[in-house]
Amino acid sequence: MDLTYTEAEEQFRRELRAWLGANIPDEWTRPGFWESLGDDESFRVRRDWERDKALAGFAGIEWPAEFGGRGGTPGMKAIYDEETVRAHAPRTVNPLGLAFLAPTVMAIGTDAQKKEIVGPLLRNEVIWCQGFSEPGAGSDLAALSTKGVRDGDDFVVNGQKVWTTNAVHGDKIFTLVRTEPGSQRHRGISMLLIDMHQDGVDARPLKQMSGASEFGEVFFDDARVAATDVLGEIGDGWRTAMLLLSFERGASGIGQYTEFRRQYDEIVDVARRLGRHTDPVIRGRLARVLTELECLRLHAMHVLTQVEQGRDLGFEASMTKLQWSETFQDLWEVYDDILGEDATLDSLGELDLRPLHAQAMWSRSVTIWGGSSQVQRTITAERVLGLPR
Amino acid sequence: MFFALTDDQREFGTAVTTYLAERFDLEAVRGVVEDAAASGADGAVGDGNPEALWKAAAEQGWLAVTVPEEHDGLGLGLVEAQVIARSLGAGVAPGPWRGTVLAADAVRLAGSPEQQAAWLPRLASGEAVGAVSLSGAPVEYAAIADVLVVRDGDGLALAERGGFTTEAVGSYDGTTRLARVTVETSEAFPGEAIADLTARATVLVASDLAGVAREAITRTVAYDREREQFGVPVGSFQAIKHALADLHVGVTMAEHAVLYAAHAVDTGADGADLAVAVAKAKASDAALAATAAMIQYHGGIGYTWEHEAHLFYKRAKRLAGQYGDADAQRERIATLTIG
Repeated sequence: MDLTYTEAEEQFRRELRAWLGANIPDEWTRPGFWESLGDDESFRVRRDWERDKALAGFAGIEWPAEFGGRGGTPGMKAIYDEETVRAHAPRTVNPLGLAFLAPTVMAIGTDAQKKEIVGPLLRNEVIWCQGFSEPGAGSDLAALSTKGVRDGDDFVVNGQKVWTTNAVHGDKIFTLVRTEPGSQRHRGISMLLIDMHQDGVDARPLKQMSGASEFGEVFFDDARVAATDVLGEIGDGWRTAMLLLSFERGASGIGQYTEFRRQYDEIVDVARRLGRHTDPVIRGRLARVLTELECLRLHAMHVLTQVEQGRDLGFEASMTKLQWSETFQDLWEVYDDILGEDATLDSLGELDLRPLHAQAMWSRSVTIWGGSSQVQRTITAERVLGLPR
Repeated sequence: MFFALTDDQREFGTAVTTYLAERFDLEAVRGVVEDAAASGADGAVGDGNPEALWKAAAEQGWLAVTVPEEHDGLGLGLVEAQVIARSLGAGVAPGPWRGTVLAADAVRLAGSPEQQAAWLPRLASGEAVGAVSLSGAPVEYAAIADVLVVRDGDGLALAERGGFTTEAVGSYDGTTRLARVTVETSEAFPGEAIADLTARATVLVASDLAGVAREAITRTVAYDREREQFGVPVGSFQAIKHALADLHVGVTMAEHAVLYAAHAVDTGADGADLAVAVAKAKASDAALAATAAMIQYHGGIGYTWEHEAHLFYKRAKRLAGQYGDADAQRERIATLTIG
């Protein structure tokens, strides 16, 4: 057992911490700051800041240097995830591009794609969206019906995608499109890389129950994309998508742990202000969440160990997702119960509750996106435990 | 970063599991359980410590694990001990392993050089049986203990056989033997070790529970893959799949928590108190849930005496309450993190 990081990794932590300390204004750490900016301004500020961070060498931590990455270790990536949360760094504006598209391009992209996609993505010159879910294809992704019809050197695309993160700010979208007419389920799909700045693409924000608009809808109406702008083979998009999603497996959950552990302390503060921290029922429920948070931290160390040992985590990512998302939701349910009859109020005396409510609302979404808890349980039961389909 | 067992550490668990599978399977466990169950009729209860199993524990070093090498032990830590505990739990194995290891820990941590020289080699070799009483609760295997470690005010004391009397207490968990003890003569340990010993005892119980829980799920999954109703395996039903998936996640987290707690105690890490409470809370809940599910997802057969589910369920019920149940651990966690 060795729960320490190497000296090189700790040196990386010091450098990152110093850079974050010098480049995150105090007001950014104030609760509610980002909400106060509005979606567009928040996005612009974060985009610029993240570009500067990349130029300072704190992006693509575990990517090879040939792709502009830092060539770091899995431990450095874990440290990065931990320290950025600890420093109240803004959330990335390119989450799906960085976590999913870039590693897929590095693995199976053409030389031209590697050159054109990875570097600009790292510097936030191009914001990438993911076009997977459709109104009729949510958990059942293979039911997707967005069509691409060959027209000379192009595909002409028609259909609709939904729950698209950063839809209105996106520049390009990696999109699952049915390119073989009449094909069923997993067959005949291609992953097309579509430019969103064209007349045939219309991105609209979706207002969420929290009032924010992180997601949107993307409509394709005779949108055009060159047939060469396909990731993987034409007609083999399902396989490309599965490879792409597999890059979630190495994610340890340490970033989530760090964030939720801080929120636990914030919620305990609220309980203290209200004198609810001595209520044995509330204490028991907080302790139950703390127990799960500790387990999440240990699970993150387990995942990191497996990655460092070069072991295939298989379908363990489903367990990681279940553990963090369900725990996060439980945490904010305890918050509501601490407030009791005041649960829906905007403020309590001097305390502005709205930033806390925003987290509580967000917690309802995390057990749906990225594979719902029900889908994760089915995967765990069938692929890990071996129960019959 | 290496949060995992080494191959050598893993080997301990494999050795115990292999031995139990080949030489002391559930039929053998049942023999010990039936012996206890019969006690109401004729008053005769076996000592619950089958000789062959005890000999194996001695020969294979399961008893010597944390005893220092200069006293004929292996000089290993709680991490290795919890590996053994987990495998014994998975096999619902009877016998005074835990009491003997903990008695040796107490002597090692707080005993005088004379006490250590007198007892550690005998405990490590299985020549002496140990038992530990840290609360007023009935003590495992006190009736056959050669040495009993007891709380003595704020410290610990050692009582030898003859220096204490025992009165058997029945329990529906037949995989152990319990007795109330009355100490007549004892000698105090010079050192302090109550907190450390309690932490170690708590981790070993939590580890046993994690083993019970894992085995309960494994056996239930195996059964539900084969058992057919409505023309299909019952394990293909989503209601069962989702429940077992949640249990799998819970038990995996309990395994992480127990492993970390053992390491934290071994290294005296900051937050070891919290780690132990988290481990016991999580393992208790996981074992109670997994063994109850074992009965439910076997259907009627799971409720019968002939089926093994009750062996796991009853052991979980007993150990979940030892050294503080999940609610007590959560109050401890609240004190540590809220104040």
